[in-house]
Amino acid sequence: MTSMPAEARLSHSAAMILQAIHAGHIYGFGVMEVTGLPSGTVYPALRRLERDGFIASRWEQQSIADAEQRPPRKYYRVSRVGRATLEAAWKRYPLIERMLPTPEVERV
Amino acid sequence: MKLSRQPSAVSARLLVRSASLLVPNRRRADWTAEWLAELWHVEHVSGTVSATSLNFAAGAVNDAFQLRAHSVRAQLMSRLRSLMQPGAPARCLLVLAAATLAALLLCLALPGARRVFLPSPYQHAASLVLISSSGSADLATPSIPVSDYREWTTNTAPLFSELAFYRVAGKTLHLADGPERRLVVAQASPNLLHLLGLRSASATAPALFLTHAAWRKHYRGDAHLVGRVSDIDGTPVPIAGILPADAWQLPGSIDAVLLENPATLAHLAPTTRGFAIARIRGAVFPPPRRGYRFMVETRHDVVYHFDCISLPWLLGQPFANVLLVLFLASIALPATLPLSLSEAPVRRGPLPRATLARRAAFLVAKLTLVPLLVLLCSIALTWGPRFDPNTAFLIQFVTGVPTLLFAFRWILHDQRHRCPECLRVLSNPARVGQASCNFLAWNGTELLCVRGHGLLHIPELPTSWFSTQRWLALDSSWLCLFAEQGNPSPEPI
Repeated sequence: MTSMPAEARLSHSAAMILQAIHAGHIYGFGVMEVTGLPSGTVYPALRRLERDGFIASRWEQQSIADAEQRPPRKYYRVSRVGRATLEAAWKRYPLIERMLPTPEVERV
Repeated sequence: MKLSRQPSAVSARLLVRSASLLVPNRRRADWTAEWLAELWHVEHVSGTVSATSLNFAAGAVNDAFQLRAHSVRAQLMSRLRSLMQPGAPARCLLVLAAATLAALLLCLALPGARRVFLPSPYQHAASLVLISSSGSADLATPSIPVSDYREWTTNTAPLFSELAFYRVAGKTLHLADGPERRLVVAQASPNLLHLLGLRSASATAPALFLTHAAWRKHYRGDAHLVGRVSDIDGTPVPIAGILPADAWQLPGSIDAVLLENPATLAHLAPTTRGFAIARIRGAVFPPPRRGYRFMVETRHDVVYHFDCISLPWLLGQPFANVLLVLFLASIALPATLPLSLSEAPVRRGPLPRATLARRAAFLVAKLTLVPLLVLLCSIALTWGPRFDPNTAFLIQFVTGVPTLLFAFRWILHDQRHRCPECLRVLSNPARVGQASCNFLAWNGTELLCVRGHGLLHIPELPTSWFSTQRWLALDSSWLCLFAEQGNPSPEPI
């Protein structure tokens, strides 16, 4: 994992994906659905974001998946560095926060 | 489960599994599990297995490809970083190769040095000779009286198929709408350029041919210069052409060739000295492949000796000088430095053959690159400024031999101070022992291989029992002490 400076600039697609995860869409397919980006863009971007330390991934517990009779999924969450980078990205791309509002913003 | 049995579902899974082959081994299982799990959700969210799941699975190919590309790139960078670390053998060779290339480019940029590397511009150069009465010792000085040339044009026909003469003189050249210019001109017999193969037929004399360098320097490459009539010391002479770049390789540094009428040459004083060039008849007088041949002439019961010096041999002199310098430095080396690389290493067994071959190849590469670098530099230094051949040889000799000697010493010193196994420069020198205890114990310097392959002991004072450096190989139990060996960098993602 490579640490990146908080003010690292993200592309628009990467910022959208980071915002989608931050907004609670924690699976790759969920990110695809809310951003409208194809799988060939979303998953490579997830790898890059994880490699740069902006997000972290974890496998779902096997027992939960077994209970629902489906394979376990890998989910993502925004790291502290990713959060700082996302806040910097909001200034560059103010619309993404409105397009994919975080749960707190949605409540307001 | 019904969904999974449909052809589209099978195709999508097959696509994911095929793409997984591109993913680096370490990540393949995790990657495949994630894609298959996501695919399951795609199929169950949409409810029908159609083009959607296949489109989704197609993204796996791009994902896998990008992972592979990143892995390859990271591995290459890691390997490159490892090769380029200070003290690494590849770095040493790369620096030497870059310096050699730079020296070669410098030689090619300097006109005098460039012509050393270019093939002879003259046609059938093997049969061309320069006739000299002073041997090869002083070819820069004109030695043939024009009277001899006149005589040879009639009585040497069996020996020479063609004979030409030129002398170097300063001339004032004036064009109608331009300033007067003082040029160094080769005042030559009309067949000189034809003899050299630079023109298909003898030009109508008089005619002036500017060298390419003079044309660029004095006339800024004026394309309309050819055909104009110039005034040379009061005589109108047409400018008949521009010689190709680097075409003039005969003695004398000139700006132009002035092909004169035979009648004009006849007006020269008989004692006027110049240079004679001839094309010898191979059938009766085999071309001198190396060096020169005597031509003997008897006049008024006096024997005259002339030397027919091969023009290719003359033009190849810089390389001959280089070989001489190399030879002299090689034979002087053992007198200045013992040649052995070290005493037999203290280790449990011999080094693997591949390691020995790698070590030998590294030494050979240095022995090739370093002398080549020195010799290219000496050619640039001596032939670049266009010294006369004798001065060039002297400078090449005086600078080349000591520099090569130093270079050979550095090669051996560098080889001795490298780890025999990884060829990295040994570091962390430590003084061990006391000089006052020389007869009782060892004292000297220890150098260390940072990868933990061993130690090099260099004695402070050579003794009968410890005269040269010794290599002490360390076994694998020591490796944990060496960060570079014990903690290899993780495989890049």
